[in-house]
Amino acid sequence: MCESCRRRPATIQYAEVVDGEMTTFNLCEECARERGVAMSFAPFAGPLVSILMGLLEEAGERGEAEERGPVCPGCGLSYREFRTNGRLGCAECYEAFADELRPVIRRIHGSTRHSGGVPESLAEGADSQGRMRRLRGELEAAVRSEEYERAAELRDEIRDLERGLAADGGTDVDV
Amino acid sequence: MWTFESMLSEPAAWLDASGPRADVILSTRVRLARNVHGVAFPNRATEDDLRGVRDRVRRAATESNYLTNALVIDMEEASPAVRDVLVERHLTSHNFAVDDAGRVVVIGEKEILSAMVNEEDHLRLQCIRSGLQPVDAWRLVDRIDREMDRNLHYAYSSDWGYLTACPTNVGTGVRVSVLAHLMGLSRRKRIAQVLRSVSKLGLSVRGYYGEGSAALGGFFQISNQTTLGQSEEDIAYTVERVASRIVGLELEARAELTQREGDRLADQVHRAYGILANARLVGAEECMRLSSMLRLGVALGLVERPGLAAVNRLLVVTQPGHLQYAHGGDPALEERDRMRADLVRRELAACD
Repeated sequence: MCESCRRRPATIQYAEVVDGEMTTFNLCEECARERGVAMSFAPFAGPLVSILMGLLEEAGERGEAEERGPVCPGCGLSYREFRTNGRLGCAECYEAFADELRPVIRRIHGSTRHSGGVPESLAEGADSQGRMRRLRGELEAAVRSEEYERAAELRDEIRDLERGLAADGGTDVDV
Repeated sequence: MWTFESMLSEPAAWLDASGPRADVILSTRVRLARNVHGVAFPNRATEDDLRGVRDRVRRAATESNYLTNALVIDMEEASPAVRDVLVERHLTSHNFAVDDAGRVVVIGEKEILSAMVNEEDHLRLQCIRSGLQPVDAWRLVDRIDREMDRNLHYAYSSDWGYLTACPTNVGTGVRVSVLAHLMGLSRRKRIAQVLRSVSKLGLSVRGYYGEGSAALGGFFQISNQTTLGQSEEDIAYTVERVASRIVGLELEARAELTQREGDRLADQVHRAYGILANARLVGAEECMRLSSMLRLGVALGLVERPGLAAVNRLLVVTQPGHLQYAHGGDPALEERDRMRADLVRRELAACD
C-alpha cells in the first residue's frame, strides 16, 4: 500500500539518505511522480524505477497523442500496454517491439547485446549467429577502408555460413 | 524425508555463518530469471498454460541431480501463514504470495537451491549461500540451470539473451545480491557516503528489513543493477569485488567504534542481550534492533554467546509469519509479542 495516499498499491520503493540514516519509502507511481522523488533519487532506486523513468521520459518526448503502437503477433500485447505495466507478454514481443525496446534497454543496461551464457540446446546455432554478426561488421569495415580483397574473402565466408544456417534452419526448432 | 516441518525445525544452510566474511555479509543470493520457449509469460498466459509450465518444471526438477528430493509447495493450497514463512525465509517474493494459478515453489535440501514457478517469469532459480560467495553461488545455480534447460528449453535470442517479462532482467537474467550488516558504518555516519559510491559503480543498494520505514538494524542488500552486456561471471565478480571493499570499510568503522566509544558500545550490546534474554513482550521492530546490536557484539567478540549463527536464525524465526504459523491461528499483536519474547529466550537459553 502506498505510504503517501494510502489508497493505491505501492509500486516504487525509494531510499532517502539524510544525515547518514537511510530511510526507504513505498509509494505508488502517482505519489512518487508528484513528489518528484523517482527522478531525484534515481541512483538508489531499484530496476523498476529505472524502467518507469525510461518510459516516462519517452512518453514526454513523444507527447500524449500516442497511437496504440505496434502489436505483438504472438500474444496480442500492444507496445502501449507494455508502457503502462512494464511487462512484456511473450518472447515474440522482443522482436515485435525491437525498434521501440532498443533505446529503453540501452537506457536500463547501457548495452543492447547479450554477452553471457547460451543454453546448451542452442549453443551451436547461437555461435554461428554471433560469427555472422562479427563477419558482417568486419565486411562493412573492410568496404569502408577500401580493402576490397579482404571484403571479397569475407563475403564468401558469409555466404558459406548462410548456406549452413539455412540448411540447419529446418531442424533447429525447439530441439 | 524433506518436509515443510523438517524445514522449519532446521535452520537454512545460509544462516549458519560458515561462509567467508560472515561477520559482515549474512548471505549471498544468486537468482536466474527464465521462461519456457513457446509459452506466453505468466502475465499473458492462460491458467492452463501456467499449470502446464508448473508440471514441466516439476518433472524437470525430479530428473535433476540437485532437486530430486525437493519439497514442492503449491501456492493455490498454501495458507497465508505458510506463504509468509516462505517470504521470510527468502524462498519466495511478496508478489508471489498470492494464490495465482500454477504457482509452486520447489525447495531443495537445506534451502540452498530453490525455484519459484510462474512468478513474473516462468522460472526463478536461486541459490543462497552463507557469507560472501557470489562466484560459487553462481556456479551452483548455473549447474541446475543447465539441467533444467535440457527439459524445458528456455526462451532465448542470440541478440538479447534470455528473454524475461521485464526488460530489466533480460540478457543473463542474473541478479547477484549480498545481504550486508553495516552497523559500524551506520553508527559512524558513513553509510550514506558508502552507499552513494556503490550506486555510482552501477550496483543498487536498499535497506533490507523494516516494512517501508527506516532501514532497520543496519541491514542492506547490494546487487547488480544491469543484466545485459556482461557475462554472468563478470557480474558475480563485480558484486564480489565491491562487497569485499565494503567489508573492509565496515571492519575499519567497527574498529574505530571499539576504539572511540568502546565502553558505550559494550554497554549497548550487553543491554540488548539482557533484554532479549529476559523480556516478556518484544515487538518486531525492537527485536530487529536488539538482534542487530547483539550481532555486532558477537562479531566483535564482546559477548561469547550466542554465536553468529544463532543470531542470524533469530532474525528469521521471530518474524510475524513464523510466529503465526507456530500459533496455528491469527494471534493478536500482544500475543505475538509474547510468543516472540518466549521464542527468543528459548533460543538464547539453548546457546548457554
